[in-house]
Amino acid sequence: MNPARSLVLNRWLAFSGLALLILLLLLVPGVVKMIVVAFLLAYIFDPIVTAIEVRGLSRTASTVVFFLFVISIAWILISILTPVVYNQIMTLRSGAGSRQTSEVILRLQAVVRAKLGFIGLGEVNLQEKIEQFSAYLSDTIVDFILHEGLSIILYAVTVPFLVFFFLKDGREMKKMFIGIVPNRYFEFALDLLYKMDIQLGNYLRSQFTDAVAFGILATIALWLLGVKYFLFIGVFAGLANLIPYVGPIAGALPAVAVALFDAGDVTLALQIVLAFIILKLTDDMLVQPLLVAKGVHLHPLLVLLAIIIGGELFGMLGMLLAVPATGFVKVVLQESIVTLKKYRFTD
Amino acid sequence: MDFLSFLGLRKHDGRKVRFRDTLRSIPIFSELGRRELASVERILHKREYSAGEVIFRQDEPGLGMYIIETGRVSILTDDSHNSMTELGDGEFFGELPLLDGGSRSATAVAKTPCRIFGFFQPDLFALIERNPRLGVKIVLSLAAIIGMRLRAVNDRVQTLLTEGTPPAATARHSRPKKSEEGSRRL
Repeated sequence: MNPARSLVLNRWLAFSGLALLILLLLLVPGVVKMIVVAFLLAYIFDPIVTAIEVRGLSRTASTVVFFLFVISIAWILISILTPVVYNQIMTLRSGAGSRQTSEVILRLQAVVRAKLGFIGLGEVNLQEKIEQFSAYLSDTIVDFILHEGLSIILYAVTVPFLVFFFLKDGREMKKMFIGIVPNRYFEFALDLLYKMDIQLGNYLRSQFTDAVAFGILATIALWLLGVKYFLFIGVFAGLANLIPYVGPIAGALPAVAVALFDAGDVTLALQIVLAFIILKLTDDMLVQPLLVAKGVHLHPLLVLLAIIIGGELFGMLGMLLAVPATGFVKVVLQESIVTLKKYRFTD
Repeated sequence: MDFLSFLGLRKHDGRKVRFRDTLRSIPIFSELGRRELASVERILHKREYSAGEVIFRQDEPGLGMYIIETGRVSILTDDSHNSMTELGDGEFFGELPLLDGGSRSATAVAKTPCRIFGFFQPDLFALIERNPRLGVKIVLSLAAIIGMRLRAVNDRVQTLLTEGTPPAATARHSRPKKSEEGSRRL
């Protein structure tokens, strides 16, 4: 077949394949979430696999070595943390510390009755209300862990599987994508993809490292303060830190709630608030300038809007991915405009 | 024929072998071994152009070089619209942007239906990162070609300064070696 005709045919086939894939993904939104998460993780870990590749291994072997390393670390962490996690789940379910909680609530109720009785709050049964809410909260969390088990397992199997192939074949996938770009826009697309790769890579990796650093620091701080469920709350604080402005507050709230309602310790709650303020200041003044120096600058209003829209569309995951996604769109637009100006497509 | 081909476990692809020979004939890749050439092949972008299609335009940003597998390519400048040169199978053009990422100094147009391989700066950088030994070999070869051209230009300037001879006459003395033919700063 003559090259030009085979080229047109190949391009049509590629476009049709891509359109079908997008349609399929839109029909199954759960798959889209998995792919997005796997893609971002692969993007973050790509330099580590490349660093292994530099030692002389093939890409496949490097990816396998990286996965073996991750599995070993995960295995060690699971064997160390399983008893802790189990205890924390059980404590959460049984509502341990309820005696102390009752005392705090009774004291609080006495204060409310004495000071606010004149506005009709004297008859309110705080203990019953809080117990109802507490039972609902702990049941919801435990039910989520137990009943969503299948979905969690599906994610735990599928996401690493996808990450493996994105890491191993990512380069070929990128080449295939570039291959379907028409000749006239081919160099432009390659140039754009390269610049985006650098900017976006720096941004995502710095955000991820920052979240991990914040999570570890929060876990250590909560452990030192003797807060129950320090591991869950620390991990949650690290993840929540990915959401600007709202994240640090959202991360501190569960710890404060546990201190107040579970331990019944107001001093501990204040210590937690202080610890989170110190953590946030350390993050802003020390960790972020070191890690996020090459990041994408986004206007605060844009960030807030992105978080709200992300939350509305995809819930918690949407809020977590809102800022990286906005950063991605900004980089694409910015680089497209800069690069487009250099090419004479109108000729 | 290697052992796997002998056992019938690997297909003997004549076109692939011919293309590898073409790659080896290019000065930038002439020092590379079989496995190194295979690594380079993996990062090349295969493109197909119909007759009259523009490959790149003068003054646009250049990302790298092109190697012609089959077909003929004309090199033109905007002001003249005349073909400066015509390149065919196994020849290459536009290699300097691999190093400086500068803009193209001429336009390349496919004269006949062409099958061309592109070798670009981002891929070269990535190759240097993951296989520094191979990357250094390629960059050194590129530097050698540029060095050779610089010497040729120096010789020309020297001749002009000392003898005042017109450039057309001196050009014959500093004609590039055969291995350099087909390579133009685009």
